[in-house]
Amino acid sequence: MMRAKFEEIMSQVTIETLEKLAFMFAFPGEGEEDHPRDSMVAGSVSFTGPFSGTLVMTISIEVLHELAANMLGLDDGEETTEDHRSDAFKETMNVICGNLLPPIAGDEVVFDIGVPGILSADQEMKKGAGIPDGLKPSAKVILDLDEGQCILFLFLDGEIPKDVVSQ
Amino acid sequence: MAINILIVDDSGVMRSMIIKTLRMTEIPLGDIHQAGNGREGLDVLDEQWIDLAIVDINMPVMNGEEMIDRMHEDPEMKEIPVIVVSTEGSKARIERLEHKGVAFIHKPFTAEIVRDTINSILGLGENDES
Repeated sequence: MMRAKFEEIMSQVTIETLEKLAFMFAFPGEGEEDHPRDSMVAGSVSFTGPFSGTLVMTISIEVLHELAANMLGLDDGEETTEDHRSDAFKETMNVICGNLLPPIAGDEVVFDIGVPGILSADQEMKKGAGIPDGLKPSAKVILDLDEGQCILFLFLDGEIPKDVVSQ
Repeated sequence: MAINILIVDDSGVMRSMIIKTLRMTEIPLGDIHQAGNGREGLDVLDEQWIDLAIVDINMPVMNGEEMIDRMHEDPEMKEIPVIVVSTEGSKARIERLEHKGVAFIHKPFTAEIVRDTINSILGLGENDES
């Protein structure tokens, strides 16, 4: 029940963020495609507050190129740099995380959102990426875009107190 | 009158997005200055004539709230209008910032929201509607 609610909120917030930040249109995906490991980039941002956790986002490299170019307003043919792509990805995760928590917990509570980071391939989804060891995601969302896929995982440190979940 | 604007955000991409958005608003822009944190922002304010500061909150070295507090302590800076652009979703934190006299824009934003907020805080465009 709670998982379905989180996934619906994550999906809505991410679709709206990608549209407003980068004019990119995402849709709920039907399933995870078989991505070669080097075709995806992963990042994470952790948060603390009435409950704590980590949002992990994995996106296709093609999506990341388009995301950075659109956020910067580059013309067709103009190339983004590695710094642009990293910065755009981190800012996108920051905006998604910041907009994800109020619909879950309401706007009366205070969360501190950490500094987003890019995960290296061997760090992805493992301890050291800010993800509690051995924990399964509390929510997972797959979104399809023209350029590829975007997959989000929400890991929570323990249970969410019932009194902080927004109705 | 062209408006000189300072944009303070640790994300270069977000600073570029704000500049791109400002250019879509038809607000008369003068010089646009950039800084990567509150400390650098105060340095720019020390050296340049700025009509409006657009400030992020979560930044390294000096965050936006501390920068705003320092501005309010400085007679030369305390009257400069400030708009906070942030993902902050806590009503208590937003109200605390608004009590400091700043306007608030939530990320992600639209050009219309940016335009209306700037017009409101600078008192621009009030005679434009017929």
